[in-house]
Amino acid sequence: MLAAGEGRRTGHHTNKVLLPLAGRRVFTWSIRWARLLPSVTHTVLVIREQDRPTVLTTVDREVEPPDLAVVTGGDSRHSSEWQALQELAPAIEAGDIDVVVIHDAARPLARTSLFSAVIDAAVEHGGAIPVRLQSNLTGLDPAEPPPGHVVAVQTPQAFRARPLLEAYRQAHAEGFVGTDTASCMERYTDVPVRCVDGDAGNIKITFPEDLFLAERLLAKADWDLSDGHESRPHRTGHRGRPHLRDLWPTGGHP
Amino acid sequence: MSVEEAELRCDVCDRVTDHEFHYAGRLLESVRCTVCGTHLELSQRALLPAYALDLERRVASKPRRLLHRAARDPAGFVRTLPGAVLRQPQKFLREFRLLIRR
Repeated sequence: MLAAGEGRRTGHHTNKVLLPLAGRRVFTWSIRWARLLPSVTHTVLVIREQDRPTVLTTVDREVEPPDLAVVTGGDSRHSSEWQALQELAPAIEAGDIDVVVIHDAARPLARTSLFSAVIDAAVEHGGAIPVRLQSNLTGLDPAEPPPGHVVAVQTPQAFRARPLLEAYRQAHAEGFVGTDTASCMERYTDVPVRCVDGDAGNIKITFPEDLFLAERLLAKADWDLSDGHESRPHRTGHRGRPHLRDLWPTGGHP
Repeated sequence: MSVEEAELRCDVCDRVTDHEFHYAGRLLESVRCTVCGTHLELSQRALLPAYALDLERRVASKPRRLLHRAARDPAGFVRTLPGAVLRQPQKFLREFRLLIRR
């Protein structure tokens, strides 16, 4: 789980993944949805060193056991992934981990079913990335229209653990810095990377309005993106019980 | 109301800038870019029902959250509970005032 950020790294202000979002911090939402899968056995959270005290307090308050490992990231996404892989290396070499899933903590709305889909595809094919078809793009240069099929790539991305570790070891040895996990895999391995259907709701918190949208999408889903992997004892409004929201003329749906 | 600061991308500045986030309870009420002053806020019409919906969830999940906190740190929980209970009415009053005065 990459939470080291890609901002200016001034360290003066809160990392966006530490912002409150509907009662939790942004980064703990996706940890929650991912860890509902029984196949997810290890979690490594990659952070900025200056965020460590806040992260540890938040993890203690919001993340259910088992404990997760917290490591400090590097100055690029690639470097942060390398730090996480080094943490997992002993378990990968011991055969305890078959697949590694890499997820951007700034995508708090990645559903449990999306984690499950990329893991299944990685087990079967070797690598999997969720994509969304971008059909409404146009080129600034009329002579060079965009290709017919352009996709936006999301996370979580999943890869077989051993080839991934090996690819990052080679990249480290050669000083290669990939733009994303798949680029490193494609350069150093012949493991096929398959596309799975992404989710329009799996937004990345980038602009301020994304936080408003994430809040509304969570409320619309009754704060449950577990896709049936979690029982919801707190859920009300079914079996004829009244909702507080029903007191409002719009029925709580602005 | 609580205020947080973080870096997000500003559409107007076209770069990552510091933003100020204002929360009403657990809901994001407004965001302001500290560089260009661009201000985004949830309309009153949207905020009130969203707040009611969130309040419902806060109340419904409170027992579970209290149990979780008690299990994590029983001594600390017992020590801080009376103060937390006493602070609740004032906290909610502040939130309601903020919502009504907008």
